[in-house]
Amino acid sequence: MSESSPSPATPSIDFLRAAAAQQGVSPTDEDLEGVLGFLDVVLPRLEQIEERVPPGTPS
Amino acid sequence: MSVVETARRIEAGELTPREAVESYLERIGQLDGALNAYISLRGDQALAEAEQAPPGPLHGVPVAVKDVIDVAGSATTAASELLRDNVVARDATCVARLRAAGAVVLGKLNTHEFAFGAMTTSPHFGAAHNPWSLDRICGGSSGGSGAAVAADLAAGTLGTDTAGSIRIPACFCGVTGLRPSTGLVPTDGVVPVSWSLDAVGPLARSAEDCALMLSVLTGRPVELEDGLGRLRIGVVEELFERADPAVAAQVRAAVEELRGLGASVEPVDVPLIEESGTINQLLMLPEAAEVHLPWLRTRLAEYGDDVRARLLAGLLMPATAHVTGLRARRWFLGELGRVFERFDLLAAPEMPIVPPPIGDDDVELNGERMPYRLSLIPFNSPWSLAGLPVVSAPAGFVNGLPVGLALVGRDREEQTVLRAAHAFQRATDWHERRPPAAAIRAAASAV
Repeated sequence: MSESSPSPATPSIDFLRAAAAQQGVSPTDEDLEGVLGFLDVVLPRLEQIEERVPPGTPS
Repeated sequence: MSVVETARRIEAGELTPREAVESYLERIGQLDGALNAYISLRGDQALAEAEQAPPGPLHGVPVAVKDVIDVAGSATTAASELLRDNVVARDATCVARLRAAGAVVLGKLNTHEFAFGAMTTSPHFGAAHNPWSLDRICGGSSGGSGAAVAADLAAGTLGTDTAGSIRIPACFCGVTGLRPSTGLVPTDGVVPVSWSLDAVGPLARSAEDCALMLSVLTGRPVELEDGLGRLRIGVVEELFERADPAVAAQVRAAVEELRGLGASVEPVDVPLIEESGTINQLLMLPEAAEVHLPWLRTRLAEYGDDVRARLLAGLLMPATAHVTGLRARRWFLGELGRVFERFDLLAAPEMPIVPPPIGDDDVELNGERMPYRLSLIPFNSPWSLAGLPVVSAPAGFVNGLPVGLALVGRDREEQTVLRAAHAFQRATDWHERRPPAAAIRAAASAV
């Protein structure tokens, strides 16, 4: 929660493959490359939103 | 013919329900080979049901529904390979309500696969073609619903809307579409995209048609005859600036028409428009992945490439993303609530562009090439995220292709949205323009 927290890095293909396998899904490497491309865009935006949502806002 | 006019002619004895159904089936036979608006037809059943249609406000009116909505005895395919043979036993509640009011269901309409995209170019059932220009998309995901109304292949249709899927095809096909407030129309019997964002609503010729269909879908009357009064309309300048200038000019003229009818019109800044697209994705993608998880495990390869990619993205987003999305939605609702303290309606272009050619994943907008799916997000996601009612009404043409005016209202204020659209349509005739049937017929005969 400190201001010096590192930004989340886009995960690796191996990480995504393992995360998919944990949920019983077996995508191809090509599928996972597409997911990586999406996460490259969305993770920085997610981080910005995490920082800007006013504290105490309930879900 | 419109829903209202068809119902009136049947009530007056000028047309029987069977004649109405026969007329539409004949037209579908002539034109749909070129449009591919329908995935399946219920010809014999519809003719039989027309003979026994119950009395009601839609007595004998031929309608059709997007093929993610259950109709007893028909397959609900969702334009997917996975559900190709998914014959269902019961009507969705929305269909049951239309039928109880006398409507006759002609068939099931084309959609983006699993309603999870905005093009209606299913790799399994083929693209729906825009009646205004057959080489262009209808938008989506309710593309068949828009095309069927535009080409007069049904009096009215049902679509679904998670992030623009009623409004976009209504805009691109030059018809009127209403996304109701989230939760207003039951979604049981509808293949879900995202449980917290999905809505079912009508596409038809006019706001008057949509009002009649909505009154049947909700069981509550919708009054349109009060005119505009002193409605306060906020013009979402950011979206006009983002749109193609020719599209924006058409929609500005529509807003000026509303001003001339008595509305007060002022520019407004809507906070978080850009962020709302991301927030929408944080909710929609994991919710869709959850719906599809059993099939992702066993039949992953049977999805089209684009839908599989979105579902996997939802599956593999960080677990906290959805919670952040829920909290950020609250934040956005608070900001938007302050805007609606000053305005009764917001106005914007429904889409920033005219329908692109089938097969083009990228579009050019203000000199920049960008993915089509990204171009539409700021124009549609904010209102879906907030669960608000939105109507897209025809507002003119650019290069012979339709342009739409979006009017956004407060939660559960469909009547205000439709009243404004109705007043606009009484003063203009954009909603009465028809695509060239002869060209469609010629193309169909060549198929």
